[in-house]
Amino acid sequence: MPKSIKTGLIAFAFLSYLILVGLPGRTGGNALPLLAFAAALFFWYRLRRESRTQSRLVPQSGAAGQAKPGWEIGHGPQAQVQTGAVTRGGFPLRVLTQGAAAGATAGLLIAIVSAVFAEILGNGVAIQPVFDKIVPVNVAALLGVSPGAVAEAQVPPLRYLISALYFTGGGILAALAVLAGMTDAARAAGPTQWRSRLSGPAFTSAGRWLVIALPFALLAVVIWLGLPGVSLFGNDRSTVRLLFTLIATGSGLFALRAATPGRERLAVSVLIGLGVLCMPFVLDQFQNSVMGIVFIFVMMGLGLNIVVGYAGLLDLGYVAFFAIGAYTYAFVSAPFSSPYISGLLTGLGVPADSPLLGYWMALPLAMITAAFGGILLGIPVLRLRGDYLAIVTLGFGEIIRLFMLNLGELTNGPRGILEIAQPDLFGLAPEAVSGGLLSSQGWIFLLALVSSAAIAFVAIRLNDSRLGRAWIAMQEDEDVAQATGVHLVRTKLLAFAIGATFAGLAGQLYAARQINIFPENFSLFVSIDALALIIVGGIGSPAGIVLGALALKGLPEVLRGVDEYRIVAFAALLVIMMIVRPAGILPSARRRFEAAAEEAGAGEIAPEADETFVKKQENDKGTGADGEKGAMP
Amino acid sequence: MAGRSTSAQPLQLDWATVQKYAIRAFGFTILAIVLWRVITVGLAEGYPASFWISQALNGLVLGGVYALVALGYTLVYGILFMINFAHGEVMMIGGIAGFFALQFAQARGWMEGPWLVVVIALLSIMLIGMAASVLIGVTLERLAYRPLRQAPRLVPLISAIGASLFLQYSVLLIFGVSPHSYRKPELISGGLRLGDVFIPYTGAIIFFTSILLMLALYFIIQRTKLGRAMRAVAEDRATASLMGVDVNAVIVLTFMLGSALAGAAGVMLGFHNTVVKFNSGFIPGLKAFTAAVLGGIGNIPGAMFGALLLGLIEALGPSALGIPTEYKDVIAFTLLVLILIFRPSGLFGEVLSEKKA
Amino acid sequence: MTVLLAVQSVTKVFGGLVAVDKVDVDIREGSIASLIGPNGAGKTTLFNCLTGLYRPEEGEILFENQSLVGLRSDEITARGIARTYQNIRLFGRMTALENVLVGQHLRLHASHWSAILRTARQQAEERAARETGRELLDFVGLGGQAEVVATNLPYGDQRLLEVARALGSRPRLLLLDEPAAGMNPRETERMMELMHRLRDEMGVTVFLIEHDMKVVMSISENVTVLDYGKKIASGAPDEVRANPRVVEAYLGPEVAVDGPVTAQEH
Repeated sequence: MPKSIKTGLIAFAFLSYLILVGLPGRTGGNALPLLAFAAALFFWYRLRRESRTQSRLVPQSGAAGQAKPGWEIGHGPQAQVQTGAVTRGGFPLRVLTQGAAAGATAGLLIAIVSAVFAEILGNGVAIQPVFDKIVPVNVAALLGVSPGAVAEAQVPPLRYLISALYFTGGGILAALAVLAGMTDAARAAGPTQWRSRLSGPAFTSAGRWLVIALPFALLAVVIWLGLPGVSLFGNDRSTVRLLFTLIATGSGLFALRAATPGRERLAVSVLIGLGVLCMPFVLDQFQNSVMGIVFIFVMMGLGLNIVVGYAGLLDLGYVAFFAIGAYTYAFVSAPFSSPYISGLLTGLGVPADSPLLGYWMALPLAMITAAFGGILLGIPVLRLRGDYLAIVTLGFGEIIRLFMLNLGELTNGPRGILEIAQPDLFGLAPEAVSGGLLSSQGWIFLLALVSSAAIAFVAIRLNDSRLGRAWIAMQEDEDVAQATGVHLVRTKLLAFAIGATFAGLAGQLYAARQINIFPENFSLFVSIDALALIIVGGIGSPAGIVLGALALKGLPEVLRGVDEYRIVAFAALLVIMMIVRPAGILPSARRRFEAAAEEAGAGEIAPEADETFVKKQENDKGTGADGEKGAMP
Repeated sequence: MAGRSTSAQPLQLDWATVQKYAIRAFGFTILAIVLWRVITVGLAEGYPASFWISQALNGLVLGGVYALVALGYTLVYGILFMINFAHGEVMMIGGIAGFFALQFAQARGWMEGPWLVVVIALLSIMLIGMAASVLIGVTLERLAYRPLRQAPRLVPLISAIGASLFLQYSVLLIFGVSPHSYRKPELISGGLRLGDVFIPYTGAIIFFTSILLMLALYFIIQRTKLGRAMRAVAEDRATASLMGVDVNAVIVLTFMLGSALAGAAGVMLGFHNTVVKFNSGFIPGLKAFTAAVLGGIGNIPGAMFGALLLGLIEALGPSALGIPTEYKDVIAFTLLVLILIFRPSGLFGEVLSEKKA
Repeated sequence: MTVLLAVQSVTKVFGGLVAVDKVDVDIREGSIASLIGPNGAGKTTLFNCLTGLYRPEEGEILFENQSLVGLRSDEITARGIARTYQNIRLFGRMTALENVLVGQHLRLHASHWSAILRTARQQAEERAARETGRELLDFVGLGGQAEVVATNLPYGDQRLLEVARALGSRPRLLLLDEPAAGMNPRETERMMELMHRLRDEMGVTVFLIEHDMKVVMSISENVTVLDYGKKIASGAPDEVRANPRVVEAYLGPEVAVDGPVTAQEH
């Protein structure tokens, strides 16, 4: 059975990757069962797909041999036709042998590779200069022996056999799980009923209230965790609390969505708002600082969403306006960090180390300079479309960063601008005003929260006006929008300017949060982060943006312990996310319409799918992606 | 009736004309400023001619490498209308594979052997780099891009950004943070001296190899069945598939071609810069993409020309304008912005925007 | 009746190809006029010149005695010309009502600040715009479909929605690019009736491109025929039908002149 061997090979490749990045050493002694479990999950996924397509093809063509690899056949409407009858015959045995063969393939190869590694290491050859993570500790974890045994080449051959058996066992387990699932599915007559049962009346009453209550329960846990004397998970209490805060904020958005429009939603939103507003007072400095950066990125995301999500102008240089806002505030707050300005001020007789403007006075200045930057960038790129616009804005972002880096006289170059003032509260430090309840980072978080709310308010209102309609129209078809009466230049420039203003606000707050800023804070990755978070969250949807920021900026902080892996995990998630749920976690109403329309369209083509190659292809793609999409309510 | 209205027209001050002349005036102003700067500062420095020539040669070498990478962007864009953001990383992986191949060859002493052995070894190193890149490029297409072919255009871009980060940090995790340094074999470490101009062998080899590879690519696209199929798919995917072209196969082959060129570029850049590390594909990738856009993305000769132009400007620009070399990236991006303002679809771009944007 | 739109010697060249060659057309206010011709005769190009998508190389376009040449298409729309498209170009992700609201963009004046603050005036204006939008949808016969996303509408309704969107800008002249293309006889009937009502109830002058000869001959007061970019005939439908150049260039020699003829080049 070549197919199961192929599955085994893919699993082997995936496991090898995990081994190469040094995961076994991380998990300690449990590496082998853990890897086998990961493999089993993968086998389960593949076997389930395969057996589904087989059971579907059997009644139609009578030959299971025609089955194509699972991914080329989408879950079309016929997928639900499967009956219990097809699972009779040699089917269970075949699935079992397939699982075992796949497991054995992966297991044997891993055993061989780890044997080679152990042998080489045992002979005193270091593989480490080439493969950074192949050290005795990792190999030992992989084989389930002590590092000393690997170093002295004393690994009993039995260990290799056991490791191979682990994976074979994983394969068999996966097959059993598939068989169990098949009979269940047959009894329930397809997944449609399951889905409808979930969204049925039972769900709407109990489940809905559960969803609404969840954020409050979580907020209560967060507060409880902060009480003195409470201990949970030993030393990790701080990150656990952060994680709960993130989830509580995120689930609040789902609660809002679950509430029925009208008075109920108003009540829920006010309560959640109050709950989140008291977070800055109860969290500690670290948690507040993470939440602060999360909401600074929410501000950015909301601004970028106007440019990309509403007006459809793909801007990859959004960081430029963030940087403009940050440096504007830096210049007026800590002017003596900049050699040029300090020279100027000394000439004017201004005493050293005195800020020119406070946070609040600088606020309009940062907004105006950023908006000005937005218009300045907007004018030359008015005629550009699509990818050309993307690359020019990217270039603009890089130009700004390079100027910050190289204009040493003004920006102090890579040494940065230091000791930027924190925002004050009626001329006093926030700690003093709140009687110690509000830490400096909590204050930043609170400001970010309030600013995000204000920005979201403006963005939603604008989107709901004729300007918003003009943006969407322009995004859909520029020429027609203009012929319908939309002034393209003005509409585009407004999008750039408003987006830039919000980025400037975010930048100013960021400068205040960081205290010291350097050109390296404003790399291309800030733009990419902002773009990624609005796309992951659901482009065009403010709630989605909050969720995206929580996931992309907040979660990595929770995962600080496994620092090196978090970017890789994040990147892989980004790709998977795009494949599984391209409209984002919380898509905007408009996007949901679109997805529904696509799904309906794909369903219509399905029956005539065999007619032409193109149609079949489109259909496969469409149903493949939409099948997954449809699974989420 | 006809004559009356046409003769009354020539000097009309409407918006479109004003805009056109404003843009032109802006362009000439910038050109004038640049020229003035070059004459008063750059030329006034009094660098010898040999300095300019060797800078230009440097630029050509860099431009050749950019061209190879830019071709990958342009090929993929021409067929799928997506920016393969991870292409720079595909190149970097070619460089990493080439590094290990070089280590292997050096450990066996092939690099000190007779010249024929060294040449064969160098060629094999490049082929290994290309093979590694092809492997990664094809995997990328299969896993990260193919499921997204029908998706809105932002989605594959984000997927590509994810893939780019994934590749960079995987290399970091697997091969470590520290740069891996290429050691040039004796045979190619010298250079030619023509008067005051010094031409390093590696530079010459890189330039000619990239020209050769580009010619090969051009031949494939213009003269072979595969090339015809590629052009057909680029023109109209649905029609091409109705005509019996296996679209998937063509797309995979396009990725293979682009990645192979990037792999070769990665190895050559390794020899040129003497180091590779996990993020060494990023900036060259960005530059190559810039070059592809300069020439009009989707246009193959455009990408080559754009890359050579970019290389030259980067090498000559800072000294000509009398500004520090740190600004060479600023010059590159400013040039890009300016060219796109005056020619919104690149120097040789067809008007793609109507159809695809 | 006064001349609403005067096209004088308009010429548009693409590369070496003269798409529209010194064409003159006069549209009288309150009339329904047609532009016909074989595919590639330059009809849509002429429309694009009229709406500012293209700029003619030569000639003059006078709308209410003011030149339109060189104006942007939104300025032309502001002057009172709206259009529909041959290949339907709706804002597909928006609902029918939203499409008509975009059509009214030019007629709404509330500032963006007032939109953020939701001032009483802005709200009143929005309400009025929605009201007008629903009325326009009713007018074209899409009464119940206001909240349907444009792409989900049936084909014929999409064409009607394009008309409603165009009406949103309160045009004096409506350019319809093949309004009946791809419609079944019943839908065509509806469209013809709509065109009459447009003129009679809304006072909109209609200028249309059409291939369906039945529509053209029965509805228009004036027909202009283009062939290879040149105007080869114009006049009342009967005159044009009898014109031997039209018969030869457009209808083809073997087609009976006096039957209800339909274009053969679909």
